[in-house]
Amino acid sequence: MEADHPQASVEAKSIGKRLEFVELAVVNQEGDKEATEEDELQRLLKPNVDELPVEPPSSVEFNFVRYFAPDFMKEGHDQYVYRHANGLCVIGLAPSHVAFKDDGGVTEVDFNVGKSDRSSMKVTGKRKRNAQHFESNSALCKVNTKDASYIVRCCVKGSLLEVNDRLIKQPGLLNSSADRDGYVAIVMPKPADWLKIKSSLISLDDYTKSRKT
Amino acid sequence: MLTGDIEPSIKDAVSQLPPQAAKDLLSAGVCVRCIFRLFGIRGQVYSFPTLAPSLIYSQLEEVIDVDESIPRCSVEANGSLGGSDTDLGFCTICLGILQFSYHDAKDKVMKNQSPSDMASTIAQSVKQEGHSISDFSLEISIPPIILENEHAVRLHLKSKYGNEGWMQESNSSQIISVKESLKFSLTGLVENVLDAKSSLSEFRIRMTYTLSKSPKTIQNIMEKNKRFKKLKHGNEKLHSDGTDAGDADMANDRAEEIVKRTLKNLGDQQPSVFPPDKVTEPCSLVVACSRASIFFGGRYLKYSRNVSQSRWIIDDERMGEASVEEIIGSNILPLCRGDAYKFHAAGREDIDVRMLGSGRPFLVEVQNARDVPSRTSMREIEVKVNNVGSGLVKVKNLDLVGSQGWNLMREGEAEKQKQYAALVWISRPLEDVDVETVVSLKEMQILQKTPIRVLHRRSPLERGRTIHWMNIERIAGSSQYFLLHLCTQAGTYIKEFVHGDLGRTHPSIGSILGCRAEILQLDVTDVKMDCFMAD
Ligand SMILES: [Zn+2]
Repeated sequence: MEADHPQASVEAKSIGKRLEFVELAVVNQEGDKEATEEDELQRLLKPNVDELPVEPPSSVEFNFVRYFAPDFMKEGHDQYVYRHANGLCVIGLAPSHVAFKDDGGVTEVDFNVGKSDRSSMKVTGKRKRNAQHFESNSALCKVNTKDASYIVRCCVKGSLLEVNDRLIKQPGLLNSSADRDGYVAIVMPKPADWLKIKSSLISLDDYTKSRKT
Repeated sequence: MLTGDIEPSIKDAVSQLPPQAAKDLLSAGVCVRCIFRLFGIRGQVYSFPTLAPSLIYSQLEEVIDVDESIPRCSVEANGSLGGSDTDLGFCTICLGILQFSYHDAKDKVMKNQSPSDMASTIAQSVKQEGHSISDFSLEISIPPIILENEHAVRLHLKSKYGNEGWMQESNSSQIISVKESLKFSLTGLVENVLDAKSSLSEFRIRMTYTLSKSPKTIQNIMEKNKRFKKLKHGNEKLHSDGTDAGDADMANDRAEEIVKRTLKNLGDQQPSVFPPDKVTEPCSLVVACSRASIFFGGRYLKYSRNVSQSRWIIDDERMGEASVEEIIGSNILPLCRGDAYKFHAAGREDIDVRMLGSGRPFLVEVQNARDVPSRTSMREIEVKVNNVGSGLVKVKNLDLVGSQGWNLMREGEAEKQKQYAALVWISRPLEDVDVETVVSLKEMQILQKTPIRVLHRRSPLERGRTIHWMNIERIAGSSQYFLLHLCTQAGTYIKEFVHGDLGRTHPSIGSILGCRAEILQLDVTDVKMDCFMAD
């Protein structure tokens, strides 16, 4: 960036005796300044189209490392664990989950499993009071299709921060965007626990390969 | 001594004193300046270098010679009145303060300094610290026991001379305090030697007197008060605990409160002990000076997506190549030769977000500045900071602001609107109808759950936010990229408003356009606050 017309102000000083002239110069300088500031902003905001990717990485791709838990506790129960750099894990159904193979896909999601209704817990504060501690095999919810019912599990040992209660009214989100708006829950594992869990999960690459064959 | 040698103003001051009472006080070891102030004499006379008791004594004799109604008193005859001010020990009221006697910082006893010696000592400490000043305020802190001493003497005078006219006319409010008397003595001289004006200045010279071999703490003062009440004035062995000047100021001020209250409650009921004990140790004096924080206000621009607002270090590793705080602060600090700086900004942007356009209001607080730059030098400072900022950070509208700049910035922060430009990609080509849809949305309410990216350290909440308006600027040569200009309520998470954060922010640009929306870059283009705008 260039400094604000240092020369101009030096000039203005050197002819300080001719007051009118100086004031005029100052007015022009301010006017110019506004114009150049606006130009500068435009220039800075304008992206270089040639440098833009045809399709940029999605925020999910960009912000999360994607892991998978194929056949978790039961064949075809494929789940994903998307881990954010801050340690939080988003849990959901992998595209190859057996529920999607049923005619009509998922028709209902029920968080009322186990001892408590997962969607009625209220976690509060920075310290995440009331967050329930879950084991990796704890049930998060039940997804129902026309003919069957499947248990979705936590996959990650940690505190359950939230479940996606939009799924109660819009179970279809699972069929249309299971890896985005159709996520099931957010879990916060302890760092040490995460290291253990990580070794039981497979990478996106391995998942893609294994599900192709 | 020839009375002709005496300055007319001293002569004049002495002539206003009730002679017998004044002599009485002199022989009780009260210093001349304390006598002056007890009888309400003000002004210049305090700054005369030599106010030896003998000089005044002879002057009083002369008055008494003229006025034969008062019997001669012969203190001089019993040899208790020496030539020098403190031959008798130090003043039994002010403990030597108004005789300019004290223990200096190296615990050396300085005796009978002249007011101009004192002024030089003060100037010395100002210069040692390297301050350049045009004005100053002199603050004095004295041990509260001096008030008690004064009270006792006052009661003595009342009981002894209560019937005399001058005593009946007088009241305690005519007494000039030790602090004020000391200022009478020193202020003019300090002004001269520093070439600076005494005023309610941000630059403070603090003279702190503490008892050097006497009680210092409030507890001790309280004990002293108890003894006062019990009329036990035994000589107790007391110790000095090396508290520093700051603590001593506090202790002095708080104890003074207590003593004043106590004395007020006691009123004149308290019989006095007279003459008081001889004082063999003067107070310890610490002179300290400091300038109240000065504040620079302005707006900063951040052109880099790898510069954080504040110094950001995680596990000894610096995040980003630099910080706005350091670029601005570390350049302003040496210009003022201050002790330290603090950087405050009205809100913040993420490290990967540029701050353009209007810039963001900030304050830099410089503590104990030795030099205060003139307001006319602000443009030069801007240029200097901007050169060092090497295109990463720039400041504008820099100015010296009072500490109220802080409130200004805080108040504005809560209700401010912010304007952004986001580079957005959508998963299908942008249609004209999309632009119309987006532009038509005014004051749109959205609900945002705490974004996943900060959920690990912030409360899980759902907040309502307002998107005031939006505008779409198409980018030539691309059908799926565009610039989204938007103005939002403070606290709106923009990145999440674009991509939806797994549907946790609703509606979002993605949900409004019914496709996937991604944000590639974000810039703040305007922080709508009144403060630190160009004139
Ligand atoms: Zn005195």
